[in-house]
Amino acid sequence: MFKRIILEDWQALVPYLCFALIGGAFILIVIRALCLKKSDVEHLAHLPLLDDEEIKRVDQDS
Amino acid sequence: MTQKDPAPASAKTAPALKSITIEFDDRITRHFMVASITWGVVAMLVGVIAAFQLNFWEANGHVFEILTRFLHETLKLSFIPIFDTDGIQYLTFGRLRPLHTNAAIFAFVGNMMFAGIYYSTQRLCSTRMFSDVLSKIHFWGWQLIIVSAAITLPAGLTRGKEYAELIWPINLAVTVIWVVFAVNFFMTLKIRREKPLYVALWFYIATIITVAMLYIVNHLSIPTSLTHSYPIFGGVQDALVQWWYGHNAVAFFLTTPILGIMYYFLPKAANRPVYSYRLSIVHFWSLVFIYIWAGPHHLLNTALPNWLQMLGVFFSIMLWAPSWGGMLNGLLTLRGAWDKLRTDPVIKFFVVAITFYGMATFEGPLLSLRSVSSLAHYTDWIVGHVHSGTLGWNGFMAAGMFYWLAPKLWGRPLWSKNLANMHFWIGLVGILLYVASLWFAGIIQGLMLNELDATGTRFVHDFVNTVDKIELLMLTRAIGGTFYLLGFLLLVVNIWKTARSGEPVNETRVVVADPAMEIDRMTWSAAFRNDPIAYTFWGLFFMILWFFSPPGYSHMALICTLAFSFFAVKKFKADTKTWSDWYDEFSENYLPFSVLVLVAVLIGGMVQIIPTITVNRAMNVEDRLQTLYTPLELAGRDIYISEGCYNCHSQMIRTLVPDVVRYGDYSRLGESIYDHPFQWGSKRTGPDLARESGKRGDSWHYLHLLNPRGIEGASRMPNYHWLVENKTDFKGLPAKIAVQQRIGVPYPIMAPAEIEQGAREQALKIAEGLVKEQVRIPADADGKEPESETEARNKLAGSEMIALIAYLQKLGTFEEVEKDELEPGMPPVGPGVPDKFRPDVPIETATATETSE
Repeated sequence: MFKRIILEDWQALVPYLCFALIGGAFILIVIRALCLKKSDVEHLAHLPLLDDEEIKRVDQDS
Repeated sequence: MTQKDPAPASAKTAPALKSITIEFDDRITRHFMVASITWGVVAMLVGVIAAFQLNFWEANGHVFEILTRFLHETLKLSFIPIFDTDGIQYLTFGRLRPLHTNAAIFAFVGNMMFAGIYYSTQRLCSTRMFSDVLSKIHFWGWQLIIVSAAITLPAGLTRGKEYAELIWPINLAVTVIWVVFAVNFFMTLKIRREKPLYVALWFYIATIITVAMLYIVNHLSIPTSLTHSYPIFGGVQDALVQWWYGHNAVAFFLTTPILGIMYYFLPKAANRPVYSYRLSIVHFWSLVFIYIWAGPHHLLNTALPNWLQMLGVFFSIMLWAPSWGGMLNGLLTLRGAWDKLRTDPVIKFFVVAITFYGMATFEGPLLSLRSVSSLAHYTDWIVGHVHSGTLGWNGFMAAGMFYWLAPKLWGRPLWSKNLANMHFWIGLVGILLYVASLWFAGIIQGLMLNELDATGTRFVHDFVNTVDKIELLMLTRAIGGTFYLLGFLLLVVNIWKTARSGEPVNETRVVVADPAMEIDRMTWSAAFRNDPIAYTFWGLFFMILWFFSPPGYSHMALICTLAFSFFAVKKFKADTKTWSDWYDEFSENYLPFSVLVLVAVLIGGMVQIIPTITVNRAMNVEDRLQTLYTPLELAGRDIYISEGCYNCHSQMIRTLVPDVVRYGDYSRLGESIYDHPFQWGSKRTGPDLARESGKRGDSWHYLHLLNPRGIEGASRMPNYHWLVENKTDFKGLPAKIAVQQRIGVPYPIMAPAEIEQGAREQALKIAEGLVKEQVRIPADADGKEPESETEARNKLAGSEMIALIAYLQKLGTFEEVEKDELEPGMPPVGPGVPDKFRPDVPIETATATETSE
């Protein structure tokens, strides 16, 4: 084992610290996701399908 | 670029808008798709062969003798010569297994991923790819890399690290081609006509950035020749970096791009938007933030420092939530369309793939618990877990995507839905046979290996008995794999027929573009010099100080943290719109967004790796320090790696009583500190070799390597007769020692002649001992046998066999570090107990002698 350059007691805090940081980031993300406008969410969710809709629209126009 | 721009505006379109006709580059999608299918067959075929090799040692090449003998003697086809061989060095399990894994990951899934990314990115960005030339360079460069891998890996040219075996010139090629891909992708984002970035593109961005980072760090090496190098990391550093890479290769090569593909192709196939876009955002960020930390769960109960193991467990368990969120989001996208499950093979494949994603990501955290790991690690349970991901999640997503794409890429309906359905059922049965048999095999073997007698000081089962016990299950696994391959061959036929019945089609589409629309207008200053970033940065800074400052200072830091949090909330309340707009802008500007992804993945890697790199030095090691390899032993080590022995043998005795009882005192960090690369292994098809030194005589190893079944009848190990014929590369040793010195291994200064002479002398000594014991020396290829003892000794001494024996006899030797070398004031070191969380296991060596392979 290594000499006590990094003490185990000190290291034991690292997982908790990392957990706190990532937990904080997670909460922020959830809040942001929930705060997204409904219209934006609808638009984003339909992006993969947009091409079909666009094509239909262009067909109707012509 | 073959974009027709601009087309006449429609009469009914607003004056500011333009109708533009885009011809997508679907040729590149077709190329990658065909490549994926082709390499998929190769990867699966090699996998099936490897699976049979674990049942029948003859499958390591001896099968050709059996076959030709049958044809020649039984069927009297005398024109067919008998191919007399005990095995072929290019076809052993140790060499084929890396070929299988690399082909499956980088060739099959890699090409599939590129096909999906090229197809969906163009459509989500409403533009053709930035450069057709870059696309072509990417495609042909990638295929060249795969061909190089297919040649070098069976030839035994390897770096000896799992999924990172390719030699350094190929590593450089991979890096260049990946950069080409990245430039093409990011420039396509830059010229996009759709302002928001759909979540699939987020997953692609994360893939490109993270894989580049992982690949570069884990492949840092110093060459000793054109085909050989040593990684700059050694021992625990290398173990940590390797599994940081290995785990995240699964995460960011086999998962995130396929999730992007799921978020694009599943809504298309189901013809409805994703169930919850909000959930997809949470899914993405959670994976990016969490996945990168979980690598150490591959090293539980080993010599890895406890805090790193804890981190691995912590974050692995946390992965449950986002993974299942993503799975549910995928499955619920089919709301109201479940009837398609009966009729549409594409939906069938997607649904089962997503279900396997959920199962594998449930099983992964479960296996990351230390107690479960103590049973499952090094057994076939892990192999089963990995294959439920690759066969179920990756393989079925690939099949679903190919069946959906083929009609669009060749302008004809799928040739046969029934054949696709048959593929589905054969493949599914194959996976279930494969995975279930390995679950059982792993658990049975794990329980047997861990079983001790009533006194708790002797193991009950010899290693080879546990191999015998799971024989039928291993055969079932091979049959399951064969089923899966057969199913995939049906896909080959179906796609081939579809392509032949149609013509290659490049989709053209008219899009309505708004020239006034501003894309990526966020400046770097706006992105990173603002209140949200400033408050987050300083808040985190003081929080870290709070954790790590001495008492007194820490209180100040806590007050600062609280003050920043308070002011951040106050500022946010006063100016919510600016903060919200900042985030919205961020998610629509690909460069700042990519930087944020990079920061997210960097944090995890840095926290884990930097401390280990800093302290993993001989001067910091207490307790035990590895003895340096002599030049001959180093040559033997390279042969061990070249033959892929690490695929079946670990060199890590875990801090578990059954491991210690079976193999000897548990492994310390310092005992592998000079191992570049580390050889802790990930699977025990044969027993651990960490303390092999001196357990058996040279002649035992010699005879065992020539014919393992001569010593242990039930062994599956190949015969390594070519080790007697192949010559040790004595001339190359000075260059190798020089590189070892450069990467920190404290070899004394030696002249090249001294290195070579030392190696030859040691080899002669070992060879002399063997000749005295009158071991059988196989005849040359031309049938000539040594005529005298001197000739026999000289022949042996120059062979790889002797170098490998020298290495095996060195494994586990160490020097005790003098207690008084510890710095004054340092707390006393316990009797080799790595830390307070580990059990104080007995340190006597095994009480029963291992007799198997």
